[in-house]
Amino acid sequence: MAHSAEIDSKEAWDGGVSPFKLSYGKMFMWFFLVSDALTFGGLLISYGFIRHKYAEVWPKAENVFTHFPFIEQHVPLAYVGLMTFILIMSSVTMVLAVEAGQRMDRKGVTTWMFWTIIGGAAFVGSQAWEWYHFIVGTDHGALRNVWDAASGSYVKQVFHGANMVTNEYGVPQFANYFFFITGFHGTHVFSGVVLNFIIFLNVLKGTYQKRGHYEMVEKVGLYWHFVDLVWVFVFTFFYLL
Amino acid sequence: MSDFHDNYPQYELEALHDEAYGKKARRTLWNVFWIMLGITIFELIIGSMAPGHGWSGTLWLKTLFIVLTLAKAAAIVIWFMHLGHEVKFFKYIILIPYIIFMFYTIFVILTEGTYSGTSAKATKVDPIFVEQQKALKHGHHSSGVPQTNQAEPAQNQEHH
Repeated sequence: MAHSAEIDSKEAWDGGVSPFKLSYGKMFMWFFLVSDALTFGGLLISYGFIRHKYAEVWPKAENVFTHFPFIEQHVPLAYVGLMTFILIMSSVTMVLAVEAGQRMDRKGVTTWMFWTIIGGAAFVGSQAWEWYHFIVGTDHGALRNVWDAASGSYVKQVFHGANMVTNEYGVPQFANYFFFITGFHGTHVFSGVVLNFIIFLNVLKGTYQKRGHYEMVEKVGLYWHFVDLVWVFVFTFFYLL
Repeated sequence: MSDFHDNYPQYELEALHDEAYGKKARRTLWNVFWIMLGITIFELIIGSMAPGHGWSGTLWLKTLFIVLTLAKAAAIVIWFMHLGHEVKFFKYIILIPYIIFMFYTIFVILTEGTYSGTSAKATKVDPIFVEQQKALKHGHHSSGVPQTNQAEPAQNQEHH
């Protein structure tokens, strides 16, 4: 444990030690997250560009995401607020699991990991619900020029919901970016829940208690916080601005 | 080489700490959580109040939202992901390449992307979208029934 104090900076790069005082597993999780963050950054920047290009016809989020379970009225932003709360909450339970692991508190890790998995599953479910309402659309719909294969021309008709070509909310790019970015993020959340579950099973089996440290919990924790980090940006750029 | 790993420091064990330290760490984490929740609730209140006000969609409001977002992101990275606890050089290794690439991508899209913004090459938008947004601005959610059902020459928005 006292190794770090003995390292001479001149010899730190000669091998046998990590100049970053990190295990390779944690370091490469960070490197992976940086590359993943570049992907999300590229997606969000291109989203910003297209949105700016269609600024005058870009739909406003408060006119699109107005549903809330069991409530008939329009409540803009409320549902996404709930989703954000669920994800921040699960991020905090994850970091508490990491903290418990650093005290070798197996019971604490079990409890907090369990709540993290529940939170993650609740978020994925909420996103499915959001997608469902986005795809099905509203009762009133909107007028669209829809391609009619039979006549080989565009026909003006009321269109409900959204797909990759047409949507009732506005320009097609709006639905394209919504599906792609929230879908890509949702896939990350889903894989995060799966990873958390695998680590949770190992915690239950006592694998890490035997190993003497809970670093695996820290590694999936890093991934899980990254998912929360991305959502913070998606939330701002899709729903608030 | 067989004993290569024998004197390899176990950094995993350096992270271990006692109950007293844990108590302090937990207090910090909960404080970060309450601050983040506060920021999010503030954003939601401002965001749902904005429609219909003069300051809705202004540059100031957008800047405020982006600054608050960056603050939340920093809180997650520093305290939840424990980057604040890593050695200085590792922080730079993670943050600097990312920040450079993000600024570079924004720079590229702002300079190379301008071709589509000039009036000569401006992308044609189907007027149906303009009408819809105008109607929504006046509070009409329903777009009504189509008056005519015959095929009209459609102005498509994405056919280069």
